[in-house]
Amino acid sequence: MEHNIIFQPSGRRAKVPHGTTILNAARKLGVGIEAVCGDNLTCGKCKVKIMEGEFPKEGITSSLSHVTRIEEKDKKIIKDLTAEISSAKSDEQRQKLERKLAKIRKKHQELASEEVDENIRLSCATRVMGDVLVFVPEASRTAEQIVSKAAGKIDVKIDPAVKKYYMELTAPELSDPVGDLERIEAALKEHKIENITIDYSVLQQVPDILRESDWKVTVTVLYNREIIKIEPGKAETNIGIAVDIGTTTVAGYLTDLNTGEVLATESMMNPQVSFGEDVMSRITYCLLNEQSGIKELQQVIITGLNKIILNATEKIGMTPHDISEIVLVGNTAMHHLLLGINPEYVGAAPFAPALHKSVDVKAERIGINILPSGNVHVLPIEAGFVGADNVGCLIADKPHKRDEFTLLIDIGTNGELVFGNKDKLISCSTATGPALEGGEITYGIRAAPGAIERVKIDPDTLDPSYQVIGSDRWSDGKTDMQARGICGSAIIDVIAEMFKAGIIVKSGRFNQELSSPRIRERTKGISEYVIAWAHETAIDEDIIVNIKDVRAIQLAKGALYSGCQIMMKKLGREKFDRLAICGAFGTHIDKMQALVMGMYPDCDPEIIEFLGNSAGDGARVALLSVDSRCEANEIARKVEYVELALEEDFNDRFGEAMQFPHMYDKFPHTEHLVVVREGKIEA
Amino acid sequence: MATAEKEKELIAGLRDAVINYKIADAKKLAEEAIKEGADAYKMTMEGLAGGMETVSEKFDNHEYFVPETLLCAKALYGALDVLKPHIKSDSGSKGQVVLGVMLGDVHDLGKNLIKAIFESAGWTVHDLGRDVPLKSFVEEQLRTDSDIVMLSAMMTTSMVGMKKLIPMIKEKNPNVKIMIGGAPISEKTVDDYGADTTADNAPNALREAMNMLESLRKGMVSA
Repeated sequence: MEHNIIFQPSGRRAKVPHGTTILNAARKLGVGIEAVCGDNLTCGKCKVKIMEGEFPKEGITSSLSHVTRIEEKDKKIIKDLTAEISSAKSDEQRQKLERKLAKIRKKHQELASEEVDENIRLSCATRVMGDVLVFVPEASRTAEQIVSKAAGKIDVKIDPAVKKYYMELTAPELSDPVGDLERIEAALKEHKIENITIDYSVLQQVPDILRESDWKVTVTVLYNREIIKIEPGKAETNIGIAVDIGTTTVAGYLTDLNTGEVLATESMMNPQVSFGEDVMSRITYCLLNEQSGIKELQQVIITGLNKIILNATEKIGMTPHDISEIVLVGNTAMHHLLLGINPEYVGAAPFAPALHKSVDVKAERIGINILPSGNVHVLPIEAGFVGADNVGCLIADKPHKRDEFTLLIDIGTNGELVFGNKDKLISCSTATGPALEGGEITYGIRAAPGAIERVKIDPDTLDPSYQVIGSDRWSDGKTDMQARGICGSAIIDVIAEMFKAGIIVKSGRFNQELSSPRIRERTKGISEYVIAWAHETAIDEDIIVNIKDVRAIQLAKGALYSGCQIMMKKLGREKFDRLAICGAFGTHIDKMQALVMGMYPDCDPEIIEFLGNSAGDGARVALLSVDSRCEANEIARKVEYVELALEEDFNDRFGEAMQFPHMYDKFPHTEHLVVVREGKIEA
Repeated sequence: MATAEKEKELIAGLRDAVINYKIADAKKLAEEAIKEGADAYKMTMEGLAGGMETVSEKFDNHEYFVPETLLCAKALYGALDVLKPHIKSDSGSKGQVVLGVMLGDVHDLGKNLIKAIFESAGWTVHDLGRDVPLKSFVEEQLRTDSDIVMLSAMMTTSMVGMKKLIPMIKEKNPNVKIMIGGAPISEKTVDDYGADTTADNAPNALREAMNMLESLRKGMVSA
């Protein structure tokens, strides 16, 4: 009997025989789980979480009852060890064995007391007895995903929402017995700050701190409205953190609010991945688990944020409580789940969000570990599918302040587009799906060591050469490259290269007339192209791209292209002056390859700019400039949302755009790159 | 009346126009058929449906994809619009389906392809459109006494509505067969939600529907 096992966040899945250990299944699939002790139950490194519930997207029902309990193997080891101890030949050996036994018992107790409840299991000792979805926590992972969300350059006039004021007050006397807070108020008046309130817990500290510090204190004020901290003496350090909560990755930028400098960057996989890889499946999880779903998803992201905060502050020798403000961006679903708002209505037409405008909440109320009275600011939302992350891109790139027409593409699990200039901006969301990032592709994996990231194909020999993450070398078809699969950037490369070399034609079909051992049909009707032979891989299988993968890419790029086209038509423009691509994934793709296959309309490659993680940059802008928050709220309401599916000719445009590079549109900038073959079959 | 030879020629022309998505040709040939007094039903079934069958095969073996199929459907509808008014009502429908996209979902490309394939195969399709309220499916099935209800969803969030809807339909009419389809749907969804079947593309959906209709009719005879 076989069972389905799916590992998150890598998304790798397979059918494994009944009784396989989770660790062995992971090894077979190339999912990196730390296992220092070699399956001996001692290191406790290989902990995984067994998810429970229905996962419609993955098509399985996972349950703790589908795996063996930990004790079975444990008991056997304990029994064997006890026997060994009794027959030990020397005291030294006995002591050694006893230490080992104690260690196992301790590990077992730890697991039993804390973690068994949380569905945590040691993957080496847990066997698969039914379908399971296994989440591999950050700490248990070996091959880390390459998360590239480096901070970009931002241009902003520094004027943060939290400011520090140093003041030297006069001590009260019998002749001047005015209250402590009023003295602070009087001092703040000199800075033109009036009608101020004070956080309750800060108020409780005022009298003592004032006296202990000889009436010389620094007061932290939020929005010139509320005192959120009082510190003895002169404190100049003022730090905040900007965080981009992506569907897949979360990146935090610890920032000096005086200088704007990024002090530390921390990123991690979004821990919500274990509840579903994309936004829709997480919303579905909430729908199916009405009682607990939203709470669970909110809890894991907040725990994740707190880890980022802790790690980032540790890097610069500070503590989380030194942070007085956190600014967050994320798509609408991430936004709602962070705030514990039901995302159900965002998940279906008419996709109305709970609110558009930005939100400010006290950190302690939401459980984010910064200064408890500190502020949590969440950027506004444009429309159901165009969230605070997109607003972040806008305040970073500022297309609404430019004369020229910008086409801004944010490629993530969804593709968000904005088009226009200072007069008018429109936006839309396209269902690109995960294919462009390597999801739902036969040999697709996330960008992690072992993933093929670049591919070239020689149009004469039809042989490829590729590069694997973690190595500079290009493959030669002979050397073992330890390749494990293909990540997003390479998917785009290989499809574009296959099209350029004439291996696939305009319609996406394989050219049946080419003969190469790399082009073959192992299953009838399923043409495929071999990128890496089994001996070049770490998985002992040929890594291929087949017609189904090509079709998946056609759907994704068709969605993106038709979105661009409809937006341009809406504003009556035939071209754009700049194409701004944001999203971390965007920085890895080759703009020419993407243009060759027609991911976006033809343009001079010179006008294509990669903005990097501009959602995160936008969060930093908002963190540093209180004015930009007003700008964000204005722009969020000003951008006009276009629901593509309601456009009358959408399906036709979508269909036409699925071809390479397009059924009708011309591509003067790339057509010379495509090989024209003699006797080429009709596209 | 057109001669047998002329009819044959027209049928072959219509087939070719659908398969090779010659939209203008399809319409022109249909008009010619009417002018020549050819049997509109025969033209539809043997010409258009015959062509669409080949399109289905091409889709199945990955020769055609969505763009080509959309164009074929266009050619098909161009001709069908001309022929339909001339089809005698007693020519008979193969079966009836209620078709629509789930509440909260406006993605109707897949649904439209299904509609084209079914109509070309001589089925009567009651198309409820997209973002359809649950009770509309129940009411439309009762009103038309359709054999099959086909539900489409492109998003997991709208798919979840099927769980509620399927028992609603079955409660009113336990004999009706339910086929579900769309990107997030798997065999497991069929089991979990109590549907009868699913298909991953329009041609397969038609095959499934034929099978279900056969079992329905057999069931009626034995009962």
